[in-house]
Amino acid sequence: MKTKILLTFIVVLLFWRFPAASQEWLVPGNQLNVENPLPYNLENVQKGKDLYQQNCKSCHGDPGKNNHLPLAPPPPDIVSEQMQANTDGGLFYKITSGRGGMPQFETTISEDDRWRIINFIRNYNADYEQLLIDAPPVNAKLLASVNEADKKVEVLAEYEDKAGNFLQLENTPVFISAKKAFGNQLLGQALTDENGRAVYSIPETLIGDEQGLVSIVVTLGENYLAEQVVLEKAKVGKIKDVPKLIRKEVLWSTNENVQLWLLLSYIGAAGAAWIAIGYVVFQLIKIKKSGKE
Amino acid sequence: MERNTRRNFIRKLGASVGAAGLVGSGSILSSCNRVETTAGDKIKLLTSSGELVEVDKSQLSPAEMPNLTENQKRGREGMPGRSWVMVIDLSKCRNARQCMQACQNHHQLRPEQHHINVLQMQDAEHTAPYYMPKPCQHCDNPPCTKVCPVNATFKREDGIVLIDNERCIGCRFCIAACPYSARVFNWFEPRDAEKYKGVTYNIEANVPQKKGTISKCLFSADRLRDGKLPSCVSACPNGVYWFGDRNEDAVTNGTTKETVSFSQLIKDNAAYTLMEELGTKPRVYYLPPKDRAFPFEGELIEHHS
Repeated sequence: MKTKILLTFIVVLLFWRFPAASQEWLVPGNQLNVENPLPYNLENVQKGKDLYQQNCKSCHGDPGKNNHLPLAPPPPDIVSEQMQANTDGGLFYKITSGRGGMPQFETTISEDDRWRIINFIRNYNADYEQLLIDAPPVNAKLLASVNEADKKVEVLAEYEDKAGNFLQLENTPVFISAKKAFGNQLLGQALTDENGRAVYSIPETLIGDEQGLVSIVVTLGENYLAEQVVLEKAKVGKIKDVPKLIRKEVLWSTNENVQLWLLLSYIGAAGAAWIAIGYVVFQLIKIKKSGKE
Repeated sequence: MERNTRRNFIRKLGASVGAAGLVGSGSILSSCNRVETTAGDKIKLLTSSGELVEVDKSQLSPAEMPNLTENQKRGREGMPGRSWVMVIDLSKCRNARQCMQACQNHHQLRPEQHHINVLQMQDAEHTAPYYMPKPCQHCDNPPCTKVCPVNATFKREDGIVLIDNERCIGCRFCIAACPYSARVFNWFEPRDAEKYKGVTYNIEANVPQKKGTISKCLFSADRLRDGKLPSCVSACPNGVYWFGDRNEDAVTNGTTKETVSFSQLIKDNAAYTLMEELGTKPRVYYLPPKDRAFPFEGELIEHHS
């Protein structure tokens, strides 16, 4: 580790001397050897992983898959030599301050969480013990059904062991989503019991379609290769309220869309004018008659 | 005698004005359906293909109004049961302008025409500047549709404000009425006019565009029918846009494809709408530009005194 730090330091110093390599991202000397204050343990690494998925994955891609965004300069994969060659302090500085396409995270991620991300990055360093073991995903099977009366989703999960037998999947979260216009909205999760069964109560607030029908989708976590189960529409949601939006009326323009109040008040006003004229004429006739008398 | 003549005069006047009104209105009404039959007079006419032709007046006979195409009919009605809304997260926008590009490609717009435009905003002298994408707000109480003299622009039951450029006469009243400057006018031949020649008009994408008519954001109504998100929403690389159906209380992010509760998103982030004091009831919600992970790099024009 020490030699690595020293090596990076020398490399950084070398580039410092050559203006041609001004592209290199330099870390101030006093930042370089700041130590990670958080212990390297499963909890911190796991939290770091969640933070990475939320904030970093969109550009840097999945660890080890080299599927980062094609930007210039390219955002390195966190497993790569280029990333791992940074010191903890260097990584912290770069995450904190950002440069060019890499945003600063000083205002958006707390200091502790930034160190947790570094812990997660170190999970892929050969010098560190690998705490998050990315085992190849296991084949699994999901069976699910909806109980309309109790508004419950019942799930049976099985996984395939090395011999090819399907066994009950214990103590594993299954994720329950509802199908919406453009995607599946996660409702919640349920843990499987020792028989591989899980029961999820559908929240009362779930909105279905005009008949209250919802299509429930059941999935397993990313460590399992299982086809998601899309259940047939069941009446487990609230009836979708479809408020009437338009009255097919406009202020003016075409006759078929004219507003009734406008039509009536116009005819009323025109009628009133005629009545007034008639009244005047009537009065004039009356005056004439009384003049004759 | 003098009084009598005045009365007589008024009586005669009243009768003659009334009669003239009846005759006049009758003749105006009847002239709508009548065609001049005197021979010899030539008249210039513009055919539907755009050619100017000369015809003898005696040859003219009233034509049937062409019926609306199926596309125009369903385009007027909208998708049943839906109520489309957009949520724009200003804290994520870093002026990538991919939304504008995708929109211009989809709707055949020239570079200076925008259905959606990313504006550089600063609300007051000492406040932080930010980027603000601004599409049509698809108001529930739209001022633009009410001023259209030919019923070319209209509100649909699913919340979208559309325009039928085969009805539009280019008077630009709607541009004047819109408080959000969401509408553009085709002053010139639209982009790629040659490429779109002869293409059947699609009211839900407003393509092909027509010179001398209005165009505006349509929430990519043609894509929604196919179950796809609008062009701008899908094109955003930074997760700025959420789009969905307010009736089922769900919006989907165009970048991450994550689907969340619309009401929860609005509540948690203190969303607001633009110029709601005008009573327009916009359908585009903005999440405030807080906790931004990038600096503002735009240029600000100083208009704070």
